[in-house]
Amino acid sequence: MHVRAAAIVALAWLLAAPALVRAHDIPNDVVVQAFLKPDGQRLRLLVRVPLVAMRDMDVPQREKGNLDLARVDDTLRTAATVWIAREVALYEDDARLGSPALVGVRASLPSDPSFREYETALAHIQGPPLPADTELYWEQGLLDVWLEYAIASDQSRFAINPGLRQLGQRVTIALRLLMPDGRVRAFELHDDPGIVQLDPRWHQAAARFVRSGFTHILSGIDHLLFLVCLVIPLRRVRTLVAVVTSFTVAHSVTLFASAYDMAPGGLWFPPLVETLIATSIVYMALENIVGARLGRRWIITFAFGLVHGFGFSFALRDSLQFAGAHLLTSLLSFNVGVELGQLLVLAVVVPALNVAFRFVVAERMGTIILSALVAHTAWHWLTERGAQLLQFPVPAVDAVLLLTVVRWAMGLVALAAAIWVGRVLMGRRSGPAKAGPYAGPAEAGRYVQEEEAL
Amino acid sequence: MRRRTLLVGAIFVAVFGVLAVTSLVLEQTVAAQNGGGTVRAPRFEVDPLWPKPLPNHWILGSAIGVWVDERDHVWIIHRSSATLDNNEKGVELKTAECCAGAPPVLEFDPAGNLVQSWGGPGQGYEWPQSNHGIFLDHKGNVWIGGNGAGDSHILKFTRTGKFIAQYGKAGVHKGPTNAEGLSTYAGDSNDQQNFGRVAKIFVDPRDNEAYIADGYMNKRVAVLDGDTGRMKRYWGAFGNKPDDRNAGPYNPDGPSPQQFRNPVHCADVSNDGFVYVCDRANDRLQVFRKDGTFVKEGFIAKRTLASGSVWDIAFSRDPEQRYLFVADGMNSKVHVVLRDTLEEVASFGDGGRQPGQFYGVHSIAIDSKGNLYTTETWEGKRLQKFVYRGIGTVPRQSQGVVWPRT
Repeated sequence: MHVRAAAIVALAWLLAAPALVRAHDIPNDVVVQAFLKPDGQRLRLLVRVPLVAMRDMDVPQREKGNLDLARVDDTLRTAATVWIAREVALYEDDARLGSPALVGVRASLPSDPSFREYETALAHIQGPPLPADTELYWEQGLLDVWLEYAIASDQSRFAINPGLRQLGQRVTIALRLLMPDGRVRAFELHDDPGIVQLDPRWHQAAARFVRSGFTHILSGIDHLLFLVCLVIPLRRVRTLVAVVTSFTVAHSVTLFASAYDMAPGGLWFPPLVETLIATSIVYMALENIVGARLGRRWIITFAFGLVHGFGFSFALRDSLQFAGAHLLTSLLSFNVGVELGQLLVLAVVVPALNVAFRFVVAERMGTIILSALVAHTAWHWLTERGAQLLQFPVPAVDAVLLLTVVRWAMGLVALAAAIWVGRVLMGRRSGPAKAGPYAGPAEAGRYVQEEEAL
Repeated sequence: MRRRTLLVGAIFVAVFGVLAVTSLVLEQTVAAQNGGGTVRAPRFEVDPLWPKPLPNHWILGSAIGVWVDERDHVWIIHRSSATLDNNEKGVELKTAECCAGAPPVLEFDPAGNLVQSWGGPGQGYEWPQSNHGIFLDHKGNVWIGGNGAGDSHILKFTRTGKFIAQYGKAGVHKGPTNAEGLSTYAGDSNDQQNFGRVAKIFVDPRDNEAYIADGYMNKRVAVLDGDTGRMKRYWGAFGNKPDDRNAGPYNPDGPSPQQFRNPVHCADVSNDGFVYVCDRANDRLQVFRKDGTFVKEGFIAKRTLASGSVWDIAFSRDPEQRYLFVADGMNSKVHVVLRDTLEEVASFGDGGRQPGQFYGVHSIAIDSKGNLYTTETWEGKRLQKFVYRGIGTVPRQSQGVVWPRT
């Protein structure tokens, strides 16, 4: 009998379970707005979260699921403590701050605009609550929270580990730091960003961006394939240095240009760059196969490097918020990270190619096979990305477009002239060019078959 | 060697010089163009990659409502399978792998991902025969109208599609059956309980009042309490008592009509408290105070006949709401209008099915960044995004299709 009763209870629970889970579903997208303001010996944190993200709370409701605003205060305080105050970790000069005081809490309408500015947000939380008879379906309400932390000085450097990952499937935190000198620094953090230095020292910014550059190049399969294409036929140190340096200089130029907002802002630009990156790989792979002259490869590498630099900049764009006051340092560090990643790849790939060409397959055949595989992969990227690019109609040829083209042409001619002048001057200083293979970028090309492995 | 160097250097200088001269000439040409028939106005370019493809082989039917909520999520309503040809709904008819009508209400995030879909008949309410217009109010509630034959009501749901309220009843204006055996309907613009094929709803957050563009059968603006749906006031063109008599076809050379023509297609409230009413077939916007006092009117593309030129409006996002963007389904464009004078300063768009073109552009809405979203009815069946590119110099006449170019 007991077994039967237990079975009925279990069955009832199973049937009810989906409804229970449904009632506490984790929201798909949660946007958190926050202000952080150090002021004297207190750090003020204002946070706005959707009420639906405060799970497992017994939210008092009236008819039709409307918030019972007369009875909701305790629930809001509990939610603010459990889901916000206990989870957000703040640091002053790398030391974690103690528990905050919960100064204020209130429910707001989803359309309330107060959190556009710090002052209005603060005034809103301090202001009168919503009228008790307001009809607001509880899942559509917002929770505003005012927390205060004791700090040693508002001149300290602060860091945050938001700890709000569990609020939703995807969590976006729009955080603004209001510094004592009036500067405002905006951050957009996603999910679990870990500890974020809000006003990093130069070495903290540098370390972060070196890591970022290193991981980006290692996770960017298209950049890596381009690099592999470059080195399949070029594995001597001198030629490698010339080509890799050319690539590095070129991508640095466009990376810096993008960081300082000098890149086109059109919607078509990222698809164009991605398509050109795929093109660069196909081109390099085909050049390897047909056995083109390699002595001048640094030139085409430079051109493609400009394109890859724009590609790097897309990856960097969302990270520049972490540079603090050290934009230049961060860009240089990102580049350093990219170079370290490239060197690591070269340190693995070049010896591996040497071994393969010595013991597994003849160099020429191996070059053709490897390059064909790479070309095949890149060709697919090219068609996919090209299809995306082609969705953008070709701009009308008018005076504005022509002017843009002419200005770019002037820039390119000036760049080419500068390079040519440099070569002329270098040629005069070093005298007549020496005969012999792979003397450097200025030297006439050789065929791939003539390459000699290390 | 030295001669060769000089020659190359001379070529560089010559090429650069030619380019520089060309640049100067082009600069003067562009400046001359700007000094001519141009004007400073908001600039847009279409985003051809927005929104992202729908899942489940879903496609849109005639898309007759769009709104953007406070999170910049874009909501649309469309007529789904009811407006799809058989060759568009092979999945539903089990004749092909594609396609099926998407649920009527769709929510997209700012990146263009579909994040939620719902809608259709359910318990406790009468889903419109032909849904029309969507609005997200300041409390996050979704309002829906309808312009089907018997639609004389408004529905209100939560954001997740839970039914909240129905104002008015379906089918109350039903008249006798005609010779073909079909029901007839007659408008009653003085009915304070029901509506007459509502086109659009706009809830003013300051007073918690819903402004109803009423509609395809009635000829009035009605104002409801946002919580109870109780009708508080209503008015016709020029603030007159609405009159349902048929005024005949619109005559662009005639005097300004003293009544709205069907449909009254929008009634949106500006930040400074004026109500802008789309009198679609009369090619005009009429402006009122919130109490229904007439303020002024302005005609747009006044010689447009048939379905008219003033379909829907969106206010620009600057605090003064300096501009109105007017969707014009007949002329396949969006008019950019100065709000204080109701003067058209520019327009963009053209007829067609490519990105940036329109076929029956029906509804328009704006997000917090100033980007515009349009939906297209008839066979347009599309949602498009136009990215705001700031105030700039644009041709005074139509810009045509605003392709991505900058």
